Amino acid sequence: MTAITIAWIALPFFLGFLIFLVPKLNRHLTLWGSIASAAYALQLFVEPTPLTLKLLDNFGVTLEVDQLSGYFILTNAIVTAAVIIYCWRSDKKAFFYAQMIIVHGSLNAAFVCADFISLYVALEVSGIAAFLLIAYPRSDRSIWVGLRYLFVSNTAMLFYLVGAVLVYQTHHSFAYAGLKDSPPEAIALIFLGLLGKAGIFVSGLWLPLTHSESDTPVSALLSGVVVKASVLPLLRCAAISPEIDTIVRIFGVGTALMGVSFAVLEKDSKRMLAMSTISQLGWILAAPEVGGFYTLTHGLVKSSLFLTAGALPSRNFKELQQKPIDTKIWIILVIASLSISGLPLLCGFGAKVLTMKNLLPWQAIAMNVAAVGTAITFAKFIFLPHTQQGEQLVKPGFWPAVALLITGLVAANVIYLQAYNIADITKAIAIIGGGWLAYTFIFQRVAVSLPRVLEQFDHLIGMMSLILILLFWMALA
Amino acid sequence: MLEAFIFATILCGFFGIILKKNLLMKIISMDVMSTGVIAYYVLIASRDGLFSPIVGKVANAAYSDPVPQAVILTAIVIGFSIQALMLVGVMKLARDNPTLETNEIEKNNTP
Repeated sequence: MTAITIAWIALPFFLGFLIFLVPKLNRHLTLWGSIASAAYALQLFVEPTPLTLKLLDNFGVTLEVDQLSGYFILTNAIVTAAVIIYCWRSDKKAFFYAQMIIVHGSLNAAFVCADFISLYVALEVSGIAAFLLIAYPRSDRSIWVGLRYLFVSNTAMLFYLVGAVLVYQTHHSFAYAGLKDSPPEAIALIFLGLLGKAGIFVSGLWLPLTHSESDTPVSALLSGVVVKASVLPLLRCAAISPEIDTIVRIFGVGTALMGVSFAVLEKDSKRMLAMSTISQLGWILAAPEVGGFYTLTHGLVKSSLFLTAGALPSRNFKELQQKPIDTKIWIILVIASLSISGLPLLCGFGAKVLTMKNLLPWQAIAMNVAAVGTAITFAKFIFLPHTQQGEQLVKPGFWPAVALLITGLVAANVIYLQAYNIADITKAIAIIGGGWLAYTFIFQRVAVSLPRVLEQFDHLIGMMSLILILLFWMALA
Repeated sequence: MLEAFIFATILCGFFGIILKKNLLMKIISMDVMSTGVIAYYVLIASRDGLFSPIVGKVANAAYSDPVPQAVILTAIVIGFSIQALMLVGVMKLARDNPTLETNEIEKNNTP
């Protein structure tokens, strides 16, 4: 098992290197890399005991592989595979695929490591590779968006490094468990790094622009898995001590509400999806013990939504409401939107119920509000006009990619079948119905556009210092 | 004392990122900040002593802790590669925005 794990971690990087040597095989190698990850993840679900590895020495790299990382790795594998299939017949060069498999590998590494320094390395590698993917079209805008992403994430990670050495100073080890008795500065700095990198709460407002301005497959990849690289460490940290768990839950609730309130008012489809990613990350953090399942469902839904949004004729909802879209594309939109709003028969429902069951009492009201907000947000997609005729151009790889993701959405239902009882089904339908009513009577008519001041570059960096103070104060309390 | 200087470096870098208008200056400020972080690792490593932990003539000297130093080496390499990548990006941007004013670039490139 140890050998398999190490080989599996090294495989994507090796494949990435191989793609540069044999550029002809680019797509095939990338696809095989993600299939290998999927196989490894599925194998983790049947493995009864978590695997802990300590490589080299006492201070060396530590890995921890359990079911929680299994969910994340599975999400990573499916989303990467779908994006590769989507790009299969496009004119992307070998460089693109090599970066994609390197992102995949570094995310895998981030999902299994159990000490702060390996995590740092994995996150930075994923940041660099994601930057190269964002900047792949080489236009001015894509370079600026990528630079901004790299800048924010690198500054956040510098704070994180200071936090990591403070943990080392107290415990003489970089393991996650050391966060327990570390000084509050260490917790504040490490959390600032992870929150900023993951795009959570106010420090994560870099996310909407980055995810909405990237190319369609890249934004699917970014929103589907790349942001989750630093969510898993937060979940692991939450398991260490009750105080840290409280901090994570508070941020989860705050993020869910903030993201959804931005998303409800958003008029641009891709930006709305990006805002909803912020809110869904909040959902994952709100119940840290069961975040894995939610991650899987969100990864599948969000990447299929981003791929579909790329096939729509316009990004503006005003224009989309004038022009009917193809019914086949509309059906995909509806399935994905219903899953994220939590309709039974799709695995978004199971994930929502499981998260709701694991909330603390003070979180319940806020998360129900966020659930209604999600239903309102995605009613925008569901109530779009559509027609049978009118041939629409989709990329050749679109249908197989989306089919894979939607199949995943239905199949993942088996993970939590206990969700299917009368009370929960009624509640889910009530939430969706309430959301749709609110949409038709209120939100379809309001024309409030929120200012984007907070998304300016200087404000993003400046906001980090405020979040740092907030975190420090929370860690002290 | 040294610790205070190091934190001053980190803060200088951080405020440089916020306050400097030029994109190139921002990147250099980020470098200053990462230098501060690296120095902090070295400082923590040298808490117990200054001798390098290799086989030598000195017996039972006060050795410095090798782990933070080894670890920060990775961070130096990563920081350096990110700097290089960003400067390449800036070179591309500079063709159309010769002043490299961040506000201008941002205004031109956000929808």
